[in-house]
Amino acid sequence: MTIDGLNASRVLQPASVEELAQLLKEEKGSVSPVGAQTQLHFGNPLRSLDCAIDVTRLNRITEYVPGDLTIHAQAGVTLGELERALEANNQFLPLDPWNGPGATIGGIAATNAQGSLRPTGTIRDWIIGMHVVEVNGNASKTGGRVVKNVTGYDLAKLYTGSIGTLAIITEISLKVRSGYGRTATAVTRLPDFASAANLVSLIRTGPLQPVSCEWIGPENEVWLRFGEHPRAVDWQLKNLPGADWKILEGTEEAEGWASVRSGYQKLGPIVVKVIGLPATIADIVAESRSRAWIAHVMNGIVLSGVSSIEDVRRLRRTHRVIIERASLEDRRQVSTFGLEPAEHELMLRMKRTFDPEGRLNPGRHVDGE
Amino acid sequence: MQTEIIQQLTQIAGSASSVVCDETELLVYECDALTLFRNKPDVVVFAANTRQVAEIVKLANTHRIPYVPRGSGTGLSGGAMAIQGGIVIELQRMNRILSVDVENRIAVVQPGVVNLHISQAVAPYGLYYAPDPSSQSACSIGGNVAENAGGPHCLKYGMTANHILAVEAVLPSGEIVRLGNPAGETIGMDLLGSIVGSEGTFAIVTEITIRLLPRPQAVKTLIAAFHSVDDCSQTVSDVIAAGIVPAALEFVDDKTIRAVEASVYRAGYPLGAVAVALIEVDGFREGLEETADQIVEICRRNNAYEVRVAKDDDERAKLWMGRKGAFGAMGRISPDMLVMDAVIPRTKLPQVLAQIDRISQRYGLPVANVFHAGDGNLHPLILFDSRRADQVDRIFEMGEEILKVCVGVGGSLSGEHGIGCEKKEYMGMVFSDADMETMLRVRAVFNPGGLLNPDKIFPSRRSCTEIGKQTTTSTEEIGKRVDAVLRGAH
Ligand SMILES: Cc1cc2nc3c(=O)[nH]c(=O)nc-3n(C[C@H](O)[C@H](O)[C@H](O)COP(=O)(O)OP(=O)(O)OC[C@H]3O[C@@H](n4cnc5c(N)ncnc54)[C@H](O)[C@@H]3O)c2cc1C
Repeated sequence: MTIDGLNASRVLQPASVEELAQLLKEEKGSVSPVGAQTQLHFGNPLRSLDCAIDVTRLNRITEYVPGDLTIHAQAGVTLGELERALEANNQFLPLDPWNGPGATIGGIAATNAQGSLRPTGTIRDWIIGMHVVEVNGNASKTGGRVVKNVTGYDLAKLYTGSIGTLAIITEISLKVRSGYGRTATAVTRLPDFASAANLVSLIRTGPLQPVSCEWIGPENEVWLRFGEHPRAVDWQLKNLPGADWKILEGTEEAEGWASVRSGYQKLGPIVVKVIGLPATIADIVAESRSRAWIAHVMNGIVLSGVSSIEDVRRLRRTHRVIIERASLEDRRQVSTFGLEPAEHELMLRMKRTFDPEGRLNPGRHVDGE
Repeated sequence: MQTEIIQQLTQIAGSASSVVCDETELLVYECDALTLFRNKPDVVVFAANTRQVAEIVKLANTHRIPYVPRGSGTGLSGGAMAIQGGIVIELQRMNRILSVDVENRIAVVQPGVVNLHISQAVAPYGLYYAPDPSSQSACSIGGNVAENAGGPHCLKYGMTANHILAVEAVLPSGEIVRLGNPAGETIGMDLLGSIVGSEGTFAIVTEITIRLLPRPQAVKTLIAAFHSVDDCSQTVSDVIAAGIVPAALEFVDDKTIRAVEASVYRAGYPLGAVAVALIEVDGFREGLEETADQIVEICRRNNAYEVRVAKDDDERAKLWMGRKGAFGAMGRISPDMLVMDAVIPRTKLPQVLAQIDRISQRYGLPVANVFHAGDGNLHPLILFDSRRADQVDRIFEMGEEILKVCVGVGGSLSGEHGIGCEKKEYMGMVFSDADMETMLRVRAVFNPGGLLNPDKIFPSRRSCTEIGKQTTTSTEEIGKRVDAVLRGAH
């Protein structure tokens, strides 16, 4: 296995959490947890790789209680597997990360992977508990198994997005949603940038409440997904602002969003996530001199394909910018998160308290900033 | 407390009126709304701005004095209680709404702003702040952030954590930091998310950027009355199983109904009912009527003998007043009570309520149940008489037994009130030593010296019961406090 040009001298595939803990107790070198390997390019360049720990054999859904709207799964379970289990009861997890249904739930949490479907947030908002094993082999948990809980510190928030640099996630408890009464997607293509900017501004300040609202460029397409009571979906479709809308439903709708996902994969050569405000997305797209982009209109976030690290540096003067995808070469020159000094200091202390010797994914996160 | 320190605090706060050290005046600050545990701080200082908070923290560090942030003092787990004495940093005067960005639906507020005041201030723009603890007319947004407060509508809209986008905070080092961003997007690790719900032990939050939501087009509120607890619980399960996402789904039992109906919070709950479900749905006008009808149908199928849909906003407000005043109304039926907070998987409701009933009979102490049924968040209220020593002796044991039942079915110790001082000795029921050790290490990242809000959340040698010598849980006192809360008279 090769990550960031480094070859793992050993790849281990523990079949149980106990085995994983035992492996870690014995391991003295650098360790990289991996799942479905869809996001290995994310983060600052890895500095050393003695041992890769593939968690895909931790692949059991340990409990699913439809009546409680909770599901508990080991880290190696893929999103697709979770979706299939939930589908049987017309339930789902409102997430459609770019790396697709083949990604493991542990990997999605570790990289805070996201997509277009964001009715009420990202994966962090659906996690209710987590089990981890720390680099020294000690197992611990945070949160619990119920949908509402304030017992103890919520360390799952820290593990989410830490790219496996604090601890290895072994099991996640999630709350899930009942299926929408109906979903439908409205798509339109605008003649130019200005009219698209105008349309999305109308949508975001109007009465519609799409669960996805994407402005895709340079084609200037606007994609709206609605999920609600069938009549509320109808009402929203009837009240779309004036444009030539095409309505997608059923398989056509699913295929449509799959094509948006593959559109994301084609962004580049450097993909950045620029964090602004809903009212500023048109400015962000313009400022980033984006070649192609997907903007989360309701959230004020733009995923922008830019040409060079110069663009990243320039954007960072005015915005918080995360590098979503870039070549190893580029990632060597510009940090993934662009942390502010105070955050940097706190995260570094966090890293040190979990992994004092810096053996878990060295260089990947704050220690590579 | 040394006069030198009082002087320095006065200097920082700018006036003697911002510093309280008179023994009688300090009594107000010896507890929060969990009146069972008390300990007086040595001094209370009202901070006017972030800089003052930072300076007070630095002063406390220099002299190694423990300090505790405090908002409105409505907490129910003893979080704002100064276990080791020391300084209480009162944030109530930092109560300005700094900005409202209507277009981007966010607001920036100081920590002392009262929860409800935010929704009132942004109402003209058709917006509101979703988390609505029953104490919302008094509790501070800073206290909400610290406790990750919930409320009836968190069933659909999520807890405080889902609505906090960014904060400015004073770390225990005295350093002022900004975490998060107005888009609410995590960059790196979610430090902000870990501060929310840390019960005021990681940092003192001095400015908060919150998400505002557009008011739903329409709301429907209904109550359904049942002759049996099981029928009511089954209704809760069936509503969820039907794929409906209610805005709120509350359970009110017969004892609570009697108390509420005899009090100023009289809501018109059916007096003959063994249990009542208070259900609200909101969203687009289209489809809402059908959803409400579907719920009515589910209630009837489960033998509801009366189902009433609120005709107008007044009736709706009244139904909610009864629910929100429930804790305060208990004085009508009992001289003392212990408010509990625990969570169970909602499918276990009938089983757990039956077990609580058996425990109640065994101890000979009644339990009233009024709670957020939709997310399985129980609030058993143990009713007793503090003049009877035999009863007082048993309430803790009984409370512990109830918690064990909840944890035993896969539940947790607290859904919204926090662990604070109240439940720290019970943490071992849900967390192993290793779990807690990891949490304590994370606390040390933020709060290495441990002076910020010490002795909370985790078991310690000094238990809370040893501290509060003259304890009382009089429903009259709680009633007064709740009344003050609901009137927003803090
Ligand atoms: C009648 C009644 C009903 C209630 N209903 C609910 C309910 O429905 N849902 C619910 O969740 N809670 C409820 N509560 C509990 C309580 O109102 C909440 O916990 C609330 O969030 C506390 O806010 P406060 O301003 O009163 O905080 P306080 O009690 O003053 O403090 C609570 C904790 O927060 C810390 N703190 C306060 N301000 C800050 C700050 N700026 N920075 C860092 N830490 C800080 C304190 O140190 C303490 O640990 C209820 C209480 C009562 C009395």
